[in-house]
Amino acid sequence: MVERVDVAVIGAGPAGLAAAVAAREQGAERVVIIERAERLGGLLPQCIHNGFGLLYFGEDLTGPEYERMFIRKAERAKVEARLESMALDISPDLEITAVGSRHGYTKIKTGAVVLAMGCREKARGALGIPGGRPAGILTAGTCQRYVNVDGFIPGRRFVILGSGDIGMIMARRLTLEGAKVEAVVEIMPWPGGLIRNEVQCLHDFGIPLLLEHTVTFIHGETRIQGVTVTRVDRERRPIPGTERFIPCDCLLLSAGLIPENELSVKAGVELDPVTGGPLVDENRQTVIPGIFAGGNVVQVHDLVDWVSWEAEVAGRNAARFADRGGIPFREEVRVRAGENIKYVVPQFISGEEEVTLHLRVTRPGLRAALLLGGKLFKRYRSVRPSEMIIEKVDVGRLSQAIGDGELRVDCRLGEEA
Amino acid sequence: MAAETVICIGCPLGCRVSVAVDRRGKVAGMRGARCRQGEKYVLKELREPVRTLTTTLRTADRDFPLLPVRTSRPVLKALMRDIVRETASVVVKPPVKCGQVLVSDVCGSGADLVATTDWSLRAGSRKKER
Ligand code: SF4
Repeated sequence: MVERVDVAVIGAGPAGLAAAVAAREQGAERVVIIERAERLGGLLPQCIHNGFGLLYFGEDLTGPEYERMFIRKAERAKVEARLESMALDISPDLEITAVGSRHGYTKIKTGAVVLAMGCREKARGALGIPGGRPAGILTAGTCQRYVNVDGFIPGRRFVILGSGDIGMIMARRLTLEGAKVEAVVEIMPWPGGLIRNEVQCLHDFGIPLLLEHTVTFIHGETRIQGVTVTRVDRERRPIPGTERFIPCDCLLLSAGLIPENELSVKAGVELDPVTGGPLVDENRQTVIPGIFAGGNVVQVHDLVDWVSWEAEVAGRNAARFADRGGIPFREEVRVRAGENIKYVVPQFISGEEEVTLHLRVTRPGLRAALLLGGKLFKRYRSVRPSEMIIEKVDVGRLSQAIGDGELRVDCRLGEEA
Repeated sequence: MAAETVICIGCPLGCRVSVAVDRRGKVAGMRGARCRQGEKYVLKELREPVRTLTTTLRTADRDFPLLPVRTSRPVLKALMRDIVRETASVVVKPPVKCGQVLVSDVCGSGADLVATTDWSLRAGSRKKER
C-alpha cells in the first residue's frame, strides 16, 4: 500500500523539525518526518554547550534546550514522525522508499520533499597520514557523543587535529572532565571555528593552538602512542626539521563537515561542488521539481538558528508546491561567487524578490568591502572564512546589481590578515 | 606595571587587546581594541571573567546515564573546574523537568545547576519502544 502525504521531510534534526513545522503552518495537511534514529532531535542532545537560539528565540540556549523547544513546536503543529526509518530513494514522481525495523519496507507518495539530512564530519583528514592504524582515532563528534550522552571518555591524553568548532568545544569539555588536551593542531594560518570558541575553549584552559601545523605521523600499533606534528609552509607542505613528537592515547579529528547528500544525488539533485550541497533557488527548491532542501545539507552553517531558518524556507515552499501542484525553479539570475568569495547560497534567484544571501570568503582580511554587481553593498571591519556572512538584499538594490542574468558577488580586502 | 592580553570576542575581528595594569590592579591603559564596545568587554573580562558552564550529571539509568545541565547564570571562570569536580558524585533521579534546579548555589558560585532537558524526552522515548 502506498501512503499519501503532503510534505515529507527527511531528517529530524534542527532542520527537519523546523521545515516540518513551517510546512504545517503554511497549510500542509499531512507532514511526515522520516528519521533513521529512534528519536527526534538529530545531534542536538550531544551538543550540551550553549550558544544556540540567540537569533531564533532571543535566548542563549544549550543544544538540548533548543531541541526541546523545537520538538514541542512540532508536537503542537501535529507533525507526524516516522522514526527508525531510513529513506533509501526518492523517485521523480516523489515516491519515497524507506526501510526500518519498526515499519519495515514502506512507500510514501508525497506532494513535496524537504531534504534535511544535515552533515557529517570529514574523517578523510586522517587517511592521508602515514603511520599505523591503531585504536584511539575518532572524530570530534563521535567523542562528543561518548562523553556527553553515553558517559565515558575514550582516552586520557588527547591531540585534536583541526580547529573546527566541535573540536575546540571538545577540548574544553575533555579538560573539564579531567583529561589532558595536549594541543589543537590546525594546518591553516587561522582557526577553523568561531573566535568565541578559540577564546573560551582553548585560551581559558591554556590549551595550545598550533596554527600552520599538521600531524604527519601516527605512532602506535594496537593503541595510538602519539603523533608527530610538523610545521607547514605557505603551500601547506610540511617543513623538514620542524617535527616534534606529542604523546597521546587519543587523536580527535575536527577537520570540517560535509553535507550528507547520498540520497539527494540518487534522486538526481545536482550539487554545488564548493558547498557540497544541492544547487538551490531562493525558495530552496533543488533542480528536481518538488525536492527542497534546507540546513546543513545545503551548506554548513555556523549557527543552528540559521539551519532552522533555511529549513523553514524550504518547508514553507514545499507546502506551497504541494498545494499548487508545483512552483517554478527560479533560475532567472545566476549568483556568481567572484573575487575572494568561496560560495554564495542560493545559487539561483528570481531577482524579483528580496533575498537573503549566505556567503563565505576565501581569505580573511581587514577593512573588507562586499560588492554586488561591482557596486559597494557593505563594509566590514574584518572577514574570516570561518564566519559566515549573511545579508538581506532588497529588490531595489538587486535590480541595480543584476546584469546579464547574473548577480556577481565580490569581497575586496583593504588589508590581508 | 604589568601587561595582560585579552582577545575580544565581540566580533569576528577578534582584536588582541593589551592592557597595562598598575601595582594596585588598576587598569592604566589599553591598546588594540578597535571599538568602544570592545573596550568595555575587555574591562569586564579583566575585572570579573564569567562563563556559563555546561556539563552533565550522572543518573542511575543505564539507557540514559547522563543528564545535561547548565549553570543558571554565568559563574566565575576560575570556578568551572571545581564545579565539575564537586558534582561528579551527584546522581540524579527522575522525574526531572528542563529548568529544574539540581544543585543550588553550586560551589558557592551563586548559580544553580539546572537541567537542560526533560527526563521524559530521553528515557521515556526509549522505554516506549521496547
Ligand atoms: S574590540 Fe571591537 S572591533 Fe575589536 S573584536 Fe572587539 S568588538 Fe570587534
